Amino acid sequence: MSSKHPIGIDLEDLARQDALTRRAKSALSYFVLGLFVLISVGPILYVISPAFRESKSLFSYPPQWLPNSFYLGNFKFLLTETNYIRWGINTLIFATSVTLISLVIDTLAGYAFARMNFPGKKLLFGCILATLMVPTAALLAPTYLLVRNLDRWTFGLIGLDTFGGLIIPMTVSPLGVFMMRQFIETLPKGLYEAARIDGASEWRIFTKIVLPLMKPAVVVLGIFVFMQQWANFLWPLVITTKDETRVLTVGIATLQGQFVTNWGVIAAATLMTIAPIIMVFLFFQRWFVQASVAGALKQ
Amino acid sequence: MSQTDQNKVLIDWQELSLSDEEFRRARSRYKLRGLIPVMGFLGPFLLLWTVFLAIPMLWSIWLSFNTGGLIDEAKFVGFDNWSRMLSNDELVRSLKNTAIYVVIAILTVFSLALTIAGLLNSNKRGQNFFKVALYFPLLVPPIMAGMIFFFLTHYDMGIINLVLQATNHEKLNFLGDNPNALLTIVSLEVWRGLGFWVLFFLAGLQSIPSDLIDAAKIDGAGSVRRFRKISLPTLRPLLLFAVIIALIFNFQLFDSVQVLTKGGPVLGTTSVVWFIYKRLFAFQDIGLAYATSVGLLIVVVVLTVAAYGFLGKRSEN
Amino acid sequence: MAEVIIRKLTKTFGDNTVVKSVSLKVEDGEFLVLLGPSGCGKSTILRLIAGLEDVTSGEILINGEIVNFVNPVDRNAAFVFQNYALYPHMTVRKNIAFPLETAKLPKEEVLKTVNEAGRILELDQLMDRLPSQLSGGQRQRVALARAIVRKPVVFLMDEPLSNLDAQLRQQTRIELMELHQRLGITTIYVTHDQIEAMTMGKRIVILKDGELQQIDTPTRTYEKPANTFVARFMGAPPMNLIKGEISLASGQLEFKGDGFTSSLDYLKMGLTPDLISRHNNETVSLGVRPEHIEISSDVSAGELSGVVKFLEPTGADLFVNIAIGEETAVVRCQPKAKVQIGTKVSLKFASENVQLFGADSWNINSNL
Repeated sequence: MSSKHPIGIDLEDLARQDALTRRAKSALSYFVLGLFVLISVGPILYVISPAFRESKSLFSYPPQWLPNSFYLGNFKFLLTETNYIRWGINTLIFATSVTLISLVIDTLAGYAFARMNFPGKKLLFGCILATLMVPTAALLAPTYLLVRNLDRWTFGLIGLDTFGGLIIPMTVSPLGVFMMRQFIETLPKGLYEAARIDGASEWRIFTKIVLPLMKPAVVVLGIFVFMQQWANFLWPLVITTKDETRVLTVGIATLQGQFVTNWGVIAAATLMTIAPIIMVFLFFQRWFVQASVAGALKQ
Repeated sequence: MSQTDQNKVLIDWQELSLSDEEFRRARSRYKLRGLIPVMGFLGPFLLLWTVFLAIPMLWSIWLSFNTGGLIDEAKFVGFDNWSRMLSNDELVRSLKNTAIYVVIAILTVFSLALTIAGLLNSNKRGQNFFKVALYFPLLVPPIMAGMIFFFLTHYDMGIINLVLQATNHEKLNFLGDNPNALLTIVSLEVWRGLGFWVLFFLAGLQSIPSDLIDAAKIDGAGSVRRFRKISLPTLRPLLLFAVIIALIFNFQLFDSVQVLTKGGPVLGTTSVVWFIYKRLFAFQDIGLAYATSVGLLIVVVVLTVAAYGFLGKRSEN
Repeated sequence: MAEVIIRKLTKTFGDNTVVKSVSLKVEDGEFLVLLGPSGCGKSTILRLIAGLEDVTSGEILINGEIVNFVNPVDRNAAFVFQNYALYPHMTVRKNIAFPLETAKLPKEEVLKTVNEAGRILELDQLMDRLPSQLSGGQRQRVALARAIVRKPVVFLMDEPLSNLDAQLRQQTRIELMELHQRLGITTIYVTHDQIEAMTMGKRIVILKDGELQQIDTPTRTYEKPANTFVARFMGAPPMNLIKGEISLASGQLEFKGDGFTSSLDYLKMGLTPDLISRHNNETVSLGVRPEHIEISSDVSAGELSGVVKFLEPTGADLFVNIAIGEETAVVRCQPKAKVQIGTKVSLKFASENVQLFGADSWNINSNL
């Protein structure tokens, strides 16, 4: 930054120049940041417009961007002529169930790996870690076949087009177990030992001591899982065939196929689906930011 | 008591009362009792993991040596699927597409995210506001982000083309042409992923010990120089780890393809997962899809293990 | 109230044997201290008795019953941790009540017992506070309350005072002693601080590298250390050790060191000619404590003497460091003693204050 200054130069001048460059740099930085904010938020705002216009008018020439009247027909269509509400309920049930079940089994397993001893612990944990990132796509065929075959064995609880089939396979989250284990390990070992000496069973230690101290981690994981499943597309796409069993992501995608030109409705659907998430997000900012970074950085 | 008797009493309490055999048996019983709660805690997850992750993994390997099985009986074909993999045009194309996409996407996202993270790190004011704003795209389910981009880039009603029209420029055919289509998808994914990676790298930058930065400042290094010579090298293991994570995520490109291009135009945007999906549910020549699935599986597991390698290096640092 | 016996207790972690076949018996109601440097296995032994670690081999008996494979809680031993291990999200009251509630005792009984414990440990004002709102000493007392509430038969304490500052440590030490007197529960206390050991223990068990060095009363470990390790570990500054050879000459024990000879009365030392001749041809160490040596500027030839190297005034004493050949000896003098650095002085001491250690580092007097 600074090069040689010949003796005799006005130091005050220099200081002023330095301050100027710093301020200029700062301004530039904020400008660039602001630009990216626009880029990030812009497209989402963009969807607001087509949602409130008749699909036909979207293609009119000369093209307009701003709506000249507030058209609510798209929303009406969405709510009455499609199964949107049904999809919404399905998605809510789906995401919530997966989250709750995941949290339960992940915290239990995390506790076992963190604080219990048993032969083959390291090996087993290693195996589970190796499968951490296995994508649904790679196991699409077998999982699909599995769920389809399980229909017979589970009296229809788990099968195609069932909640069971939709939810259960998605509850397996090695990442969740990993995160919970990492967190539990940070709790002082002495607490656990003191409780054992006090006579507490593993279950009591888990519920009365470990769990209360885990609240933040559980919330973070919960949000992470919920968001992930809310946005899940491939699996629900594959496992549901009937319109009534679809989730929002799949349902809205079908709007594209069925009503090819009704983009207004699609925009409305997208808007309606995104808006609550954004609202919840703005409310719970802190947790969300933690959750996403936790997803990959937690180590 | 005589001296010897006294000594005997003195020493007697030190003699073990359990034989080796009894000791070992009692210990095994004790240890086995301790395993019962373990099963209770580990059981549910382990059961689900085995049924829905481990077994499908093994099954998929078996399937890769078969064909059919979705609507009809599976037929064993040995290595047929595997040997045909590289000669299948569609598959080769999808591999190429995915590879190009992954490389461009990761390079773009990382450079942008690093820059923004760097800027955010040095300009602390309003950091929270920027973080929140940049996070928005992540809230949008990928498929809907695809819809949004469809709107944006639509030839007739997308705002980009509207603006171009208004300023007397030629409209761009985002999705109807190669390589535009693939690049559009790249832009979509970059847009979506930016927020996450900014947060990721920001956390990484903030974990660099401040003494290093301070030392550089004293040595007169400007912020750009500091970034290049100090921050980046320190982050290297983290970067490598990030690359691997990004690779794994991006290899699974599907949702955008489904919404925007359905693999077209002319296979221009077929990704590996799209290929698998299409094949599986077109019920034709499923064997290839099976083999590809296993290929994907292997790639991901290998990358995962590599990622742990880098994670380990980082903690050594 | 119980008697604790450990027999040939061994504990291995992987390749590392941390406790090597240790046997000891703790009498009913005794306050026994396990003392030693870090890594000597004292904490491990405590944890083995508590059931926090599994025994590799050997037996642990409480009141005559083998408890190796009994759950910690059923051993009826209470444990006080170095870091107190208080449940951070529970109030003091809930912390103390935890073991009782775990045992599913009726509410009224729990309440009564908790309050009683609180009273004994003077915690009545703090019952509704959280651990984070307490000072170190207060947390210590809560940990103790939680321990006594179960009416254990054995108290196991793992360096409970290490986390307190010096002044608080002394005060708490006294409180612990009073508690022990009041409740009379068999206590096994682990520490690395020999002052604590000396003042608190009825007997001290000194350990090094997982092996027993000496079990004795504090006084005897001080006056008659079993080996050079104990000799140097107990007492600050430690016992002086000077190398030489011994032989019998004209009814006296002759100690021949580097440039000097000392004549000692072996009877006063409790030794026999037989014992002495057994160690004739080896390098033995002569041990004598700083406070038992008198120095004078009056030096005769062949006498034990040395050059004053430096002085350490501590207010109550003056410790004079003297170089004897290659070795150093420390002598405790009166604070105002007129000693000058560089002067040659002679060292004199009485026979009965001398301990002799063989080449194997063990006290040659085996009848201790």
